[in-house]
Amino acid sequence: MTDEVILRIEDVDVSYGDFRAIHDVTMDIRRGSITSLIGANGAGKSTLLDAVMGINKPQKGKIIFNGEDITGMRTSMIVRKGITMAPEGSMIFEGMSVKENLLMGAYIPEKRKKKEELIERVFTLFPVLKEKEKQLASFLSGGQRQMLAIARAIMSDPKMIICDEISLGLAPVIIGDIFERVHEINGSGVTFLIVDQEVHRSLENSNYSYVMVKGGVVMSGASAELPEDEVKDAFFGINKYA
Amino acid sequence: MNRTEIKEARKTSPVIKPVIFAVIVLALISMPLWGSRYSLSVAVLVLLYLSLAQMWNLLSGYTGLTSLGQQAFIGIGGYAIAVTTQAYKMPLVAGFIVAGVVAVVFALVISAPIFKMSGVYFTIGTWIIAEALYIFFVNWKFVNYGIGYPITAAYRIRPEVMYWISLVVGLGSIVIVVLVLRSRLGLGLMAIRDNAASAEVRGVRLYRSKLIIFLIAAIWVAITGCLLFMNQAYIIPSSAFSIDWTIAMVFMVIIGGSGTIEGPVIGAIVYIILRQYLYNFPGISNIILGVIAIIIILIAPKGIMGFINKRFNLDIFSIRRKPKRK
Amino acid sequence: MQLLIQSIVTGILLGGLYAIIGVGMSIIFGIMGLTNIAHGNLMILSSFLIMVFSTQFVDSIIIALLITMVCMVILGFLFQKFLVNAVIDKGDEPALLVTFGLSIIIQNVLDLIFGADARSIASDFAQVNVVSTKYFSISGAYLANFIVAILVIAALTLIIRGTYLGRAIRSASDNTKAAELMGVNTKLYYAITMAIAMLTACIAGLLVGNTFVFYPYSGTQYLIIAFGVVVIGGMGSIVGTMLGGLILGLGQLLGAYFFGTGAQILSGYIIMLVLLTIRPAGLLSNAKRK
Repeated sequence: MTDEVILRIEDVDVSYGDFRAIHDVTMDIRRGSITSLIGANGAGKSTLLDAVMGINKPQKGKIIFNGEDITGMRTSMIVRKGITMAPEGSMIFEGMSVKENLLMGAYIPEKRKKKEELIERVFTLFPVLKEKEKQLASFLSGGQRQMLAIARAIMSDPKMIICDEISLGLAPVIIGDIFERVHEINGSGVTFLIVDQEVHRSLENSNYSYVMVKGGVVMSGASAELPEDEVKDAFFGINKYA
Repeated sequence: MNRTEIKEARKTSPVIKPVIFAVIVLALISMPLWGSRYSLSVAVLVLLYLSLAQMWNLLSGYTGLTSLGQQAFIGIGGYAIAVTTQAYKMPLVAGFIVAGVVAVVFALVISAPIFKMSGVYFTIGTWIIAEALYIFFVNWKFVNYGIGYPITAAYRIRPEVMYWISLVVGLGSIVIVVLVLRSRLGLGLMAIRDNAASAEVRGVRLYRSKLIIFLIAAIWVAITGCLLFMNQAYIIPSSAFSIDWTIAMVFMVIIGGSGTIEGPVIGAIVYIILRQYLYNFPGISNIILGVIAIIIILIAPKGIMGFINKRFNLDIFSIRRKPKRK
Repeated sequence: MQLLIQSIVTGILLGGLYAIIGVGMSIIFGIMGLTNIAHGNLMILSSFLIMVFSTQFVDSIIIALLITMVCMVILGFLFQKFLVNAVIDKGDEPALLVTFGLSIIIQNVLDLIFGADARSIASDFAQVNVVSTKYFSISGAYLANFIVAILVIAALTLIIRGTYLGRAIRSASDNTKAAELMGVNTKLYYAITMAIAMLTACIAGLLVGNTFVFYPYSGTQYLIIAFGVVVIGGMGSIVGTMLGGLILGLGQLLGAYFFGTGAQILSGYIIMLVLLTIRPAGLLSNAKRK
């Protein structure tokens, strides 16, 4: 981990019609870090992540990835810059086999050449996916789906992976397992930006954290130094965050 | 006039509106006294097409039943008037009654299968039924195969009478739509349309509501069909069950604005005027209509009325609900 | 007996032709959930283009087909990119109506240029009986239809199942957002899908023109056949279109055998309506239900 910023979000606003979902959001994600994005439902986390990925377009502000302005680019172009996302609800391709899902991860032409090597790497990280290689993805369990979504993200050999709602609906054992893999992948230099519903787990598993309330950032810093109680107040919207 | 002034004007409308309506209706009723023969014949077309447009809009714009097979009911109406007056020498009134009854029976019969279909399946299912009906009529001795019938009874009707009947049908179509929408039936339907989740819950009521509206549209389109073919004085299967009828309905509703009451009125007027004008360019008239329809869908998906509503905040009929857009 | 066997054989072979008429519509529906009302007209447009190219400009029907394919692929791509893609996110109806508008334009343009006369695409083998037994005979055109249909459907299946192109197309229909996140430009792939459908429409246009006569307004009739094939087989199922074609072809010919030739088309429609009623999503459906 370095102090170099890989993803800079600068003063970003996103509105849907009259509704301003996020406003004046500024963040610096450091290269090689695991950064948590904490906030209750409706705080604007997914809107922000979708804006980074080009799924919605900011009305104001800039998003700079790896030194390049990606604001307003098409999603399929942004992915080519080396940033990808395991979206909320995993969004695996239900009608395809596990293997085909992984191959789709390496869809970008320059990554296709490396696909054998990448698949090997993914299978070492997630042996269960190798077992189910030929099965239709719709038959996977919740935990396996999340693993497949992360594995599929790794298949594009990215510099940075965004995980939206990484633990949603999963059993604690499996969540632990998934975070272990995240740390392992992070060890090889991949930056992570993670959204998790659980405040304690978010802080514990990350180097830095940003806390969002009602579409804006209210707190940020090294995860170890952030006061957990205050983060929880923000998360639940009580005390001064009401 | 700016926005607030319009709002002021609308506040006084409870008094002004009925007066304006009364003036318009009186002018329309007395049109044979002041209008030329030509303008009267154009007015007949506008009124009949208005009725078609209102009914298609009731189905598609308000109820979500996008049918491409409404020509089935036009054909039924046309043939009802032809067969009763021509083959059985009965009075015209009998023709209208037979048209309505046959349309209801036919609509009831086909409702069982087609209401099982949803979305595009319903759309194409209705079209297949109309095409099947066409083939059936071509092969049916009772209706004189593909040769068809003249409708000589139509010549005995004076133009102003024809106009007044058309006026009743045309204005009647507006009244029907307003009444349906203001009734519990219509309010329920719109609640269902605007919130798809509750639609599942109220499945049975939804089915009944849709069926009633389907039947209303069937009767009214069939009666309009009687008049349209009296106007042409001859009927053959290929014109009776032509997809061109539905093309016209779709065109009028898109141009005017789907899911509004004013939309079909504007659509019918624009369509008939365009058609009269394009008469001089027989080959390309439909091409131009197709191009206009595509352009309108692309740039003003809510039609002329949607544009006016947005621009001037106008609302002529108090039952106006924006169609749901994803 | 002889006539019955002949009806069954002809019905099956006709089913192949119907399958290839429907397959383009099926992939368009399966991939982007679009009901392309203009499909029949686009096919008849190809028939006219092949006829013009093969009689006016080149000697070979195959070369005429290739030129037509180039034209139709460009047309399909542009149509998708500039018209359909602009409205496809606004629900089913606007896109359906755009294709409806296109269908009206095509048939009227054809009528304007070519008039209402019956046309056909002449070939050497069409009317020759290539198989002739005591019980039945098969004409060259019908046999060619069937073989080409199987080849095209097999090729499409291979492309969709086994290539990156096919996987990208499937991913776009499976989960549009996830496909974008993999780097797939989904709207571009919609346009590519439309272009592929145009290729099948060109081949179907050649076969139809070589087997039957056609008019500027024939598109509607073939649209209904395409739709029948697709709903019987299940929208989006490529293999299903073959099944749908066979059922429809056999149904029509047997209808004609039992109830007279006047009932041929009618029995096809009735089969469609019955199947639509009992299996509203088709026999082998994996369609994207929006």
